[in-house]
Amino acid sequence: MKKKKRSRIHFSKIPSYFMLILWLAFLVATVGWILLASLSTTAEIFKGQVMHSGFHFENYVKVWVNNNVSRYFLNSLVTTLTACTAVILIAAPAAYVLGRKHFRGRMTLSNTFLVSMSVPAVMIVIPIFSVCAKLGLIGNIWTLVILYIAVNVPYTVYFLTCFFSTVPGSLEEAAMIDGCTPPKAFWKIILPMAQPGIITVTIFNFMSIWNEYFMALIFANSSDNTRTLSVGLQNMINAMKYSGDWAGLFAAVIIVFLPTFILYLFLSNRIIAGVTGGAVKG
Amino acid sequence: MKKQNKLFIILFLAPSIFVFVVTFLYPIVRTSLMSLFDVSSISDPVSKWSFSGLNNYIELFRSELFCQSLVNLGKIWLYGGIITMTFALLYAVILNSGIRGKKFWRSVIYLPNIISSVALANMWLQYVYNGQYGLFKKVFSALHIEFLARINWTDVNVLFTSMLIAYCFGCIGYFMLIVLAGIERIPTDIYESATLDGATAWDKFWKITFPLIRNVFRTCIMLWTVTSVNFFVWARMFSRDTSPRTVTPVVYMYDLVFGLSSGGISERSVGRGTAVGVLMTLIVLVVSLLLNKFFKEKEFEY
Repeated sequence: MKKKKRSRIHFSKIPSYFMLILWLAFLVATVGWILLASLSTTAEIFKGQVMHSGFHFENYVKVWVNNNVSRYFLNSLVTTLTACTAVILIAAPAAYVLGRKHFRGRMTLSNTFLVSMSVPAVMIVIPIFSVCAKLGLIGNIWTLVILYIAVNVPYTVYFLTCFFSTVPGSLEEAAMIDGCTPPKAFWKIILPMAQPGIITVTIFNFMSIWNEYFMALIFANSSDNTRTLSVGLQNMINAMKYSGDWAGLFAAVIIVFLPTFILYLFLSNRIIAGVTGGAVKG
Repeated sequence: MKKQNKLFIILFLAPSIFVFVVTFLYPIVRTSLMSLFDVSSISDPVSKWSFSGLNNYIELFRSELFCQSLVNLGKIWLYGGIITMTFALLYAVILNSGIRGKKFWRSVIYLPNIISSVALANMWLQYVYNGQYGLFKKVFSALHIEFLARINWTDVNVLFTSMLIAYCFGCIGYFMLIVLAGIERIPTDIYESATLDGATAWDKFWKITFPLIRNVFRTCIMLWTVTSVNFFVWARMFSRDTSPRTVTPVVYMYDLVFGLSSGGISERSVGRGTAVGVLMTLIVLVVSLLLNKFFKEKEFEY
């Protein structure tokens, strides 16, 4: 009787595993094939014999050197890193005050940040574009940096507010008694304590900024010097469809895919915690 | 001391408030105003605007392409929403059912979300949907499912469906995480007592899990509405020229204001572009009001 029951439970899990394996198999097949295709020649891809004549790393060299991908990569890296750092410097103090201090208008302010997360980008880009055009800032990666900072501040404030309200209050009290001013207590004691939360939200911001397309297309698509990876990749793919360089096309896809994938391999738990807004455990 | 504290609060809030005013408040007000004016070029100063009342909105609804973009948006919201939520719920329930290697599978399901949309869309377009060496072609042929193997996924008539499938695939992981977080919050003793009462897994899902994650669905519908309204990248990837098959309001607005892509619209009108923005914001607003109304009564405490 007991044995029968156990085998029944085991049996009932088969559909679950089937669904999970299906998802995994699809991902492995797709990404795996594209990886192999990026190392083959275009002729092999169409003959259905990927990797028939061994590794063709020249696809990557060609894409990296001839198509300016190195430049796009650098642009993406500079924009993303600068924006991520600035977002924390702006959002963390606000989140600390909102999470820890009691003052009039605190809830209104928190709710304002919450609501601004759901404002569609179409609602704000046109006036920002005209202001930037007036100031001669279109086609400049720093404009993009400023926009990315602005767009990511609300979520970061929201995420860190929850985080700061869980840091024990006795620490800053002790610091005050020792003669620390509130700002000093924040930079010296609270901010280092909040490091796990800051890292989590930063990784999350990194991902969304690295993959952003809409703003990059509107504000930094005028020349190769300002294009980020996503916009650059799309331009390149359109060009490669005409030149018929499918192997190069797949190499370009892999170049865009790899950085976030590698980050994900090491930090998937942190990234997932950044999505659900929960505290990081182990 | 109290005054110092006040100064400290203001000082710490100032940068965030500044960012909010410059990039949210000011643009929202200006966009709303602009939608009531006839503005032909994006760099026109206010003196060149001419007041036209609701004309921009009337013109928008007269445009066949814009109406089509609203229909497409509705389809993305409804069909895409049903597909995404069903799979998100399914995978969340599977992950919560005591599966081995839960963390591993959770990262696998979420993986598509960390891939750049441009790369992901091209993976689907250039490989999965390809008619010669594509994954679907090979798999369905091997399984002898002829009617699926015969479909040309990049054909204009199927393009919208193909786009929707690929898009939903990229969204499921995110919503799965939100649903999963909701399910994990339900205390296990409720399930234990239900098991003692002889409830099956099916009963437990419909009588406990589903009612208790109602509010999670509310969050999901809200987030889904916001992402649908912003639908842009996938439409651009799946057809380079603005076509009625894949056009969405944001694509329409992009053509109208920035007009770099060919096809679709030849004229430029910034005023009408801002009206699109206002309409999209209104959609989000109306959905959130409706959700507040319908989801409010039942709050569970546990």
